[in-house]
Amino acid sequence: MKTLHPKSGLFESRAIGEMALASRIILYTLLLGWSAFVLFPIYWLIITSFKNAATVNQGPYFLPWIDFQPSMHAWYELFVSDYEDTLRAYINSIIISLSATALSVLIGSMAAYALSRVHYAPNLITILFFVFLVVLTWVSISAFDVDWRVALAVGVALFFFLARGVGRLHQIHLHNGDILFWIISQRILAPIVVVVPIYMMFQSVRLLDTHMALILTYCVVNMPIVVWLMFDFFNTIPRDLEESAQLDGATMFGTFREIVLPLSRAGLAATTLLVMILSWNEYLFALFLSTTKAQTMPILVAAMNAGERGILWWTMSVAIIIMILPVVLLAVILQKYISKGLLVGAVKG
Amino acid sequence: MAEETENRNGSAKSISIRSMNKYYGSFHALKDFSIEVEAGEFLVILGPSGCGKSTALRMIAGLESISSGELLIGDTNVTEVLPKYRDIAMVFQSYALYPHKTVAENIGFPLKMAKVPTNERHAAVQVAAEQVELHNHLDRFPSQLSGGQRQRVALARAIVRRPSVFLMDEPLSNLDAKLRGNMRAELKHMQSELGITTIYVTHDQIEAMTLANRVAIMKDGVIQQIGTPKEVYSDPVNLFVAGFMGLPPMNFINGTITSGKFLTSDAEIDASGIPDTKQATFGFRPEDCKVVAAGKGLIDANVYTVEMTGDQVLVTFDLRGGHLVVKMPKDFEIATGISAGITLDKNQAYFFDSEHGPRLHANQI
Repeated sequence: MKTLHPKSGLFESRAIGEMALASRIILYTLLLGWSAFVLFPIYWLIITSFKNAATVNQGPYFLPWIDFQPSMHAWYELFVSDYEDTLRAYINSIIISLSATALSVLIGSMAAYALSRVHYAPNLITILFFVFLVVLTWVSISAFDVDWRVALAVGVALFFFLARGVGRLHQIHLHNGDILFWIISQRILAPIVVVVPIYMMFQSVRLLDTHMALILTYCVVNMPIVVWLMFDFFNTIPRDLEESAQLDGATMFGTFREIVLPLSRAGLAATTLLVMILSWNEYLFALFLSTTKAQTMPILVAAMNAGERGILWWTMSVAIIIMILPVVLLAVILQKYISKGLLVGAVKG
Repeated sequence: MAEETENRNGSAKSISIRSMNKYYGSFHALKDFSIEVEAGEFLVILGPSGCGKSTALRMIAGLESISSGELLIGDTNVTEVLPKYRDIAMVFQSYALYPHKTVAENIGFPLKMAKVPTNERHAAVQVAAEQVELHNHLDRFPSQLSGGQRQRVALARAIVRRPSVFLMDEPLSNLDAKLRGNMRAELKHMQSELGITTIYVTHDQIEAMTLANRVAIMKDGVIQQIGTPKEVYSDPVNLFVAGFMGLPPMNFINGTITSGKFLTSDAEIDASGIPDTKQATFGFRPEDCKVVAAGKGLIDANVYTVEMTGDQVLVTFDLRGGHLVVKMPKDFEIATGISAGITLDKNQAYFFDSEHGPRLHANQI
């Protein structure tokens, strides 16, 4: 193989097997070095979980059995003596992130599909009237003690009067792009801005420290991401396919089940994984909305940072390890869809 | 074959379209589209892009709503009926094959949706696949097929359930020229064998001329002329149809008609019987005229270029910046730059009112 590979041009890299020995050695050294750099934190996490207070504080020790004697006491503490707390947080995290993911992917992808297939043209004036009257009704009930039935009736009547009258005369139509931007703009807002109002809202409906509070919050927070990703994804599926299926005798649901769903599997998998990770790792809302019963893993880990015994690096490492596992598992399961999912948007075909 | 057709869906059905209109907001895309398609007929809708021909087809399919007017398939009014109840099969320009289904699954999809039992479905898929010579590729996915093969899958999917109407939206335009010729012949053969009423949309006049029983020529959402290919070619009703049909297109010279004479600065042509017109156009087809010595023909002009195409020679003349093309036999020779005359038979001359478009006929007095 002295000649160039017929396919390889000037800018096309050759396979590693075709390289000279020296360049192969350099290449592998670089790759190994980079892998060590990337994987070191994971390694550190694992050995720390087998250390105790003494071996952590006197360290750094790098090699188990040589530098220090590994001990199982952190694992024992989390899985035996404190297993109730660990298990509760773990199960909470699983329930909350799975439900929130399922809900936001289901609703979000339906919204995305509608936005990609149906042309909407709501009147901006009507929407503004609606918002204005909702605020007016709310203020008159809470600040001026108007009977809520009266306020609601007047609000609805005024809305219809204004929407039918003025709204018809002055029309500024919004389009799908505006709706999509509005949805995405909800995510641009920093969560810290809304966390106090959300806290007060759940307080007033007595849902603090429940699964429901976190599921609903995560669902709303992640919905824009789902809509955004899936909208792009559905746009890559040619309309011809659905029209053809309709002519071939498929019902609306049949078209969705036979054509749209199988073709969007990759996009759904990628979106699901992303939303799942975001919910699984979420800290800020969990901190405000849960105290004990609905506490999630990130809160449990963070709590180990602030106990009266100082920072418990060893138990924290155990908690982080078991927190990483489900996400890694999910990524492995969904991997074959995801690489496709990321490409489909870019390369049409 | 005839029996099978009878068994499945009854015989081919006629289509009546009565002053169908389409508005997109204030844009009037289709204007009073009316046409009667006989059962088993092959109708081609021909027109430049953006003339509304695809819109018309999509309205017949039920993919676009009908703003006003009526659509009847057979004796049934289907104006408001959902696509799947219209018993129509459509071949899209993009073929619209389901990329996640194999060839067999693609072809069998309409039968699956109609809940045809599995055994019967497999048999029907086999028959349809054999008809388009794809029976060896049934397990492949569309991405593994060539353009021509994909086209055949789309056809097989359309014929497998013997619909009462075929709709085709530029089905051959994604194929290369040679394959397009082959598929055109196969399509025509298949349609006449199955006897299914077909409406075919194209911007390619060769496809229209070769495939159609009748051609409907459209422009700006309006049907200009409906007739057999021969009629629209030899008896165009207006300037647009005359210029659109024929390759190379018809030659046009602008001038005026006064008392039976067509006058331009270069020539005076006999137009006896044609009413006086201020802005008139004189047209003649490249294949109807001949090159003669200067001064012997109707018009004299300079030879601009000579093109040899194999079976004929195309001589292009320059006339005040405009070009006139004459088709001559393949052994014809002439030098460029010299002046020569063009002659033609009187009954091969067409006159049009260039202001409004319609053809001007000699008064029958």
